[in-house]
Amino acid sequence: MLSLEEIVIYRDKEPLLQLSAEVAKGEVLTVMGPSGAGKSTLLQAIAGQLQAPFTLAGQIKINDVVMNNIDAHLRKVGIMFQDALLFEHMTVGENIAFAMPNNAHKNKQMKRDAINELLAAVELDGLADRAVTTLSGGQQARISLIRTLASQPEVVLLDEPFSKLDVALRSQIRTWTFSQLKARCIPAVLVTHDKDDALAAGGEVIELR
Amino acid sequence: MFTLVTLVARWCLLLLLCIPILAGLLGVIFPAMGYFPAIGANAFSMQVFATLFALPDIGQMMWLSLFTGLGSTFLAVLAAFCILATFYQSSLLGKVQGVLSPFLVFPHASAAIALLFVLSPSGIFAAISTRINGYFSHVFTSSFVNETALPASNEGALLYDDTGLSVLIALSLKEVPFIILMTLSVMSQPLVKKKLTGYVKVGAALGYSPTASFFKLVLPTIFSQIKLPILAVLVFATSNVEIPLILGPNNPSTLAVAIMYWFNHIDLSMRLLASSAAVLQVAVSAVAILLFLGIERFVKNMAKHCLATGNRFFADTALRSCGFAIMALYIILICAMVYTVVMYAFAKQWHFPLLLPEGTTLLHWNTALSALASPFINTLLLGVLVSTSSLVLVLFTLESEQLKPARAFIANAFSLSLFLPLLVPGVAFLYGLVWFQQLAFQNAVWFHTYIAHMVYVVPYVFLSMAVAYRKLDNRYAMVAQNLGKTPWQVFYHIKLPSLFSAIMIAWALGLAISFSQYLPTLLASGGTIPTVTTEAVASVSGSSTRLTAVYVIVQAMMPLIGFMIAWYLPVFAMGQGKRQMHISNYSRATTAEPVQQARINKSKNKSKKGRN
Repeated sequence: MLSLEEIVIYRDKEPLLQLSAEVAKGEVLTVMGPSGAGKSTLLQAIAGQLQAPFTLAGQIKINDVVMNNIDAHLRKVGIMFQDALLFEHMTVGENIAFAMPNNAHKNKQMKRDAINELLAAVELDGLADRAVTTLSGGQQARISLIRTLASQPEVVLLDEPFSKLDVALRSQIRTWTFSQLKARCIPAVLVTHDKDDALAAGGEVIELR
Repeated sequence: MFTLVTLVARWCLLLLLCIPILAGLLGVIFPAMGYFPAIGANAFSMQVFATLFALPDIGQMMWLSLFTGLGSTFLAVLAAFCILATFYQSSLLGKVQGVLSPFLVFPHASAAIALLFVLSPSGIFAAISTRINGYFSHVFTSSFVNETALPASNEGALLYDDTGLSVLIALSLKEVPFIILMTLSVMSQPLVKKKLTGYVKVGAALGYSPTASFFKLVLPTIFSQIKLPILAVLVFATSNVEIPLILGPNNPSTLAVAIMYWFNHIDLSMRLLASSAAVLQVAVSAVAILLFLGIERFVKNMAKHCLATGNRFFADTALRSCGFAIMALYIILICAMVYTVVMYAFAKQWHFPLLLPEGTTLLHWNTALSALASPFINTLLLGVLVSTSSLVLVLFTLESEQLKPARAFIANAFSLSLFLPLLVPGVAFLYGLVWFQQLAFQNAVWFHTYIAHMVYVVPYVFLSMAVAYRKLDNRYAMVAQNLGKTPWQVFYHIKLPSLFSAIMIAWALGLAISFSQYLPTLLASGGTIPTVTTEAVASVSGSSTRLTAVYVIVQAMMPLIGFMIAWYLPVFAMGQGKRQMHISNYSRATTAEPVQQARINKSKNKSKKGRN
């Protein structure tokens, strides 16, 4: 469970946004608002990537543990952007393996099986050895999703992840994403401009001004 | 932990750049004030400066330094803008870069020597003009004229001229590529590029010619970013030693060359004079900078009026023909230089008006290669050490910038310190540095030479690396970090592989800069570590032209090989990766489809049979 308790984000010393919210396991909190309202900055604060001139007050808790002073790489918070951002010097399989925690699998074969299982879940079986540049946009988006899931995150942040996809792909990828998150009981925060995204997410919606 | 390491690296880099230069400056200021205990001078006084200014030629020396430095920089800036305005929107831009880049990586010494060959009274141009003259006089005045009696000396008047024109031209030839490539690298920064593309489109839509758009829209936008590199060029030009030493007037010489002579004089008391002249050199370079900034302000004010006149053209035809003419000049000069140097290197004899040498031999190569064996190894060892360690330092520094951004004030101080070695004349601080080094560890010559090289290599490696590093989409790092990877893992597994080709280029550039160092090597090692460059410069005044030609070729080839490695290694590594991927695809396909497997087996058998 993710709790945002009386969060205030400041730019220099000016308050940029304020909110409080709780996201239960498997739920999606949607944050909407105009550009410049601080939506992405909020996600960066939760991810532990907040940089000057921004500062944070209030508490971010994951499963009742305060995260404010914990480094980004120890938070177990996965983040996805509108670009898939797959690492181009690695194959599809290596991208996923890179995300898996160390010692999560006993040997190479088990790791490989786990990768294939993840790929099968998004109907991309057998693509493990492909170069990421040979994939279509929709395939890349799905790989990006299972890469995030492979790191076994406790919270997932979605920074307009569907906005670059065309309409047909969009609803399909959206369905994939939300059902996978639900199946794994992961709380998520979605930032978007699109009302349909908010409807599909089905959770609480916060409008920033 | 890793964050701490990178922070330490950043401070190391800062200290590495500042300490030698400040120490070096102190080391010339004290002797200049008359304090030099080694020869029993213990009292501070202005006596040394009085002696310096009493020298009959001192005014002429200062004038030569100022004239060649400022003149060459202005000429180079104008030529560079001319070329950029002509080609920046054209598909030929890549070719222009290709022609000019070798000029950038060739050591100054070898460029100057090659130019010396080409422009000398017995050089290729003189030979061609004599031939043409001879031909015409043969045709028009029948056979009265004796061809050998034709004087060729006038053509040679350009070299060693008292006005320093040859130095000025050689310097600007070397500077134009640097300014162009610096400008292009600024223009290719993602944010700047986006802005400029928009500006040029708007300009075109409003009816401005590409040339006019360059001067009215592009240049004003980027000039503040290329000003510092241009000032570095200016300081370099006012204080360079190799080029005036090889091409310049001797009596009097430029100030920097005179300083070198005085410092190396057997009479130690000349050190005082040399130190005061080194302080004067700093002043001369500072005056050059002030003059440049003054003229820049004047031109800016003038240009403001012309900006809004609505004139859609900007001397288009003249500028474009200038741009093409300068490129043609470069191509002709490069061809002539390569031709002359290569011919000399293999020539048995080459008499003046002949265009081809008489007979070829490998004798010079044998002599030179055996003489160069140990300098070659020294050069390579020093270059690899210096370039690799500065690359590591620079990468960590850049990483620390992203992990823990410094406050604006510190960041500014840092970027200024990067330019410090380029803004303080080397001939001024290197001698002082040597004095300190001799006081501290007299025998650690390799260490001293290493430090002296680092001071010059680090800034270039940093400038070359920083553009690529800041261009990298930092969301990749964010994603990796939130997949649970430590900063070190993100740096090692994500950033380094993504930047591989840029890293190799920066490494090759570091090698090239280290290879080309003349004065730092000579001074810091006290002459005990000969390199290919120091030997080449020494050979100009000593051995035969043909031997020198071989030295020049070796010297020019070394950085080129570094860059070849840098260009082809990433391509090769990537090709390897692709092939592996291909193979694994293939094997997966074979296990999935038994039919295909059978077909492959069959073809394998076939090929076996064929072999039998």
